[in-house]
Amino acid sequence: MTKLSDVHDYGSSKTKSRNGGLSGYLASKSPSVPNLTQTFTTRSMKETSPERAGYQQFGSPLVEEPTNLSVIDLYGDEDDEDADDDEDADDDEAEGSQSTSGVIADLPVSSTESPSLEAPNAFGAAKDLSQYDRYGFKKQTAHVSQEEYHMWWDQYSRYCIRRKRKWQDLLEKSGLAPSNDVPDRFPPRSEKLKRYVRKGIPAEWRGQAWWYFARGQEKLNKNAGVYDKLLEGLNNKKDKNNCKDLEVIERDLHRTFPENIHFQKDPKEGQEPLMIQSLRRVLLAFSVYNPKIGYCQSMNFLAGLLLLFLDEEKSFWMLVIITSRYLPGVHNVNLEGVNVDQGVLMLCVKEYLPDFWQRIIPKEQSRSNEFLYKLPPITLCTASWFMSCFVGVVPIETTLRIWDCLFYEESHVLFKISLSIIKICEQELAGSRLAHRGLRARTHGRDDDDIEVFQVIQTVPKKLLDPQDIFDRIIFKRRVPLNNLNQEEIDRCRKYVTSQRLKFKNCAEIMGDRTSAKASAKRDLEIGPDFVNNALSSEVYGFRRSLTGAHWNNSIKEKVRQIRRK
Amino acid sequence: MGWVKSPIHKRAHQNKRYNTATMLQFKLVLLGDSSVGKSSIVHRFVKDSFDEFRESTIGAAFLSQTIKLEKHPDVTIKFEIWDTAGQERYKSLAPMYYRNANAALIVYDVTQPGSLVKAQSWVEELKNKVGDQDLVICLAGNKVDICDEDATAREVQREDAQLYAQEQGLLFYETSAKTGAGVSAIFQEIGERVYQKKGMEVPSSTQARKPLNVELQRPSTNDSTSCCS
Ligand SMILES: Nc1nc2c(ncn2[C@@H]2O[C@H](COP(=O)(O)OP(=O)(O)O)[C@@H](O)[C@H]2O)c(=O)[nH]1
Ligand SMILES: [Mg+2]
Repeated sequence: MTKLSDVHDYGSSKTKSRNGGLSGYLASKSPSVPNLTQTFTTRSMKETSPERAGYQQFGSPLVEEPTNLSVIDLYGDEDDEDADDDEDADDDEAEGSQSTSGVIADLPVSSTESPSLEAPNAFGAAKDLSQYDRYGFKKQTAHVSQEEYHMWWDQYSRYCIRRKRKWQDLLEKSGLAPSNDVPDRFPPRSEKLKRYVRKGIPAEWRGQAWWYFARGQEKLNKNAGVYDKLLEGLNNKKDKNNCKDLEVIERDLHRTFPENIHFQKDPKEGQEPLMIQSLRRVLLAFSVYNPKIGYCQSMNFLAGLLLLFLDEEKSFWMLVIITSRYLPGVHNVNLEGVNVDQGVLMLCVKEYLPDFWQRIIPKEQSRSNEFLYKLPPITLCTASWFMSCFVGVVPIETTLRIWDCLFYEESHVLFKISLSIIKICEQELAGSRLAHRGLRARTHGRDDDDIEVFQVIQTVPKKLLDPQDIFDRIIFKRRVPLNNLNQEEIDRCRKYVTSQRLKFKNCAEIMGDRTSAKASAKRDLEIGPDFVNNALSSEVYGFRRSLTGAHWNNSIKEKVRQIRRK
Repeated sequence: MGWVKSPIHKRAHQNKRYNTATMLQFKLVLLGDSSVGKSSIVHRFVKDSFDEFRESTIGAAFLSQTIKLEKHPDVTIKFEIWDTAGQERYKSLAPMYYRNANAALIVYDVTQPGSLVKAQSWVEELKNKVGDQDLVICLAGNKVDICDEDATAREVQREDAQLYAQEQGLLFYETSAKTGAGVSAIFQEIGERVYQKKGMEVPSSTQARKPLNVELQRPSTNDSTSCCS
């Protein structure tokens, strides 16, 4: 956890200037980047040391302080509030969204009403801080207006308060009530805890909880001092290899969260933001630490988000954990992990979203497994979902909810969420179909269909401002077939796809060699004659169906329903 | 590429052949080193705007834009554009991008000589893997606005790149996503070329890439004469 001295350091770090060269700006790891907890827990500090006000408002990732402090402050004050148990009548399924229940509707937590920050610091003059959320992200995006944001936040912030109370109760019952507001231990794994995690970890505890559930400390203990050594090495060594990464990393630093206040230059100071400096160090250190990966575009987003919640060293180790445990091979130089995961996703789509599957795959290709090698174009869109673990894909609060689950439940969560999003896209597509029926049928070709799918797949996630659209509507509904997926299944699936792709690759190489005239240039797109396919497709992946047969019953029911409609 | 011929006038029965507008759909991929301005060029083309700070592209982004050809006002072209991440390792995903592509726009940064080298390796890759008889390839030197401000910033001479493009049989333009210079011209020219390439062959050949589930050259059903309701 960040120590108070670090806070001082951070506040006064303007003295540390970037003095050119590698050795200059890499000199030292940042004093722990303050995390949310700082701001949430420094009420007493605020009283005792007014001179740090600048830090509190600008040094911390929490920009929209009045709002967020008010969320927390109010939380502390409203002890007489009845615990609203509606969300936790969730021993069963939580059907429908309760996030809007008005139990504490009298709480003035709406950010729309929050006074905008009167900033004593340089940022203030130039920037209207009410435009930024509690992590420093711009509320308004290309797909969400500020009004929409406020309307949603008005409800969601109340939900967050209720959930934090639940968490506090849980910790108290488990004898883990934190002494200083932020727990560093959590109860043992259980269905209940899993549900709590899925409903969202309190924002100000996130860093600590992620670190705990991902067993970060274990990793760090085994590697004590390694990060510092890496940084030292970076200052001395200038071998070509890591300079190659350096260039790509440099180009991405300012393209990581350009809309986030912590990643922006203070216009008066003209000095490089501390966040950017930390990001540079984490990425460079990683590229040296794991040369098999080096630097892969998209890791800047992973590291960037981690840095908003954890100090630099912990962020580094979390990046190591994400890229090895949750997304094995995904960021490797050959990106094979991406292709494997996209193959797995396609298998899952075929199994759980058959209607959508039909839309994206021509019937004749659906029989064989060729699509595992020659991935459908839609995977060009969905690959980034995995590479950045949804950072930049869905709005930030939704991203954070996904990350909560990721560290507790591991990577199958990413597949479930992807399927949920595709399911939502499917509904959207069905809607537009209906609206344009007739006209479309006559004047639009298959290409138009494809374009529509790509467009929907790309824009729908960007509008998922409310995490409940995914969680309450899909993830918490046990009867939704895709919820049968578990980690074991995904692991099995990954193995299967890996081996299938290998076989296809070998076949393609053999076939390719024989016909490698330049004229048949498209050969890598046309893999082999039927016998190859037949040989390969004899091994069909079988999903483990749940014993209750709920999945089957469901799809049968759906078919019956369709027949009736006709 | 699909051919969609749809009646533009309801009075189409006068002369059905000539009174139809042609709508073509082309797939275009953007390739080139990271940070040369690929995404910025597409955004200039699609949204006519420029962001000084834009998030880097992960994987690929899809956009589409429709234009009318200046030289053939009755031809409308819908571009299906795939904007890609520029880093070297993304090359392994590249075959997915250029599968069935009609055009490739390869971008370099006129202030970064290294980016032209990367562009050239893309040209090679495309010629080897796709064959340029099927593909219109265009080379674009971006960020010329920087040189307009400060001539010393230029690292790649226009003539050098142009010569290379000529040798390789590529279209060539210099552009600025920031000011918009050259951007719409580039897409006009690409559209024109693909139209010439594809537009000529399709009516006579049966090798259209995808089956057409479109009513080709049928009389308009909006015709009062053929209306049966
Ligand atoms: N001056 C100038 N800057 C540009 C131009 N096009 C892009 N940029 C900048 O170059 C950087 C990278 O642009 P981007 O479109 O993300 O590059 P990509 O990685 O190729 O997609 C951004 O900071 C842009 O603002 C241009 O025409 N002129
Ligand atoms: Mg880009």
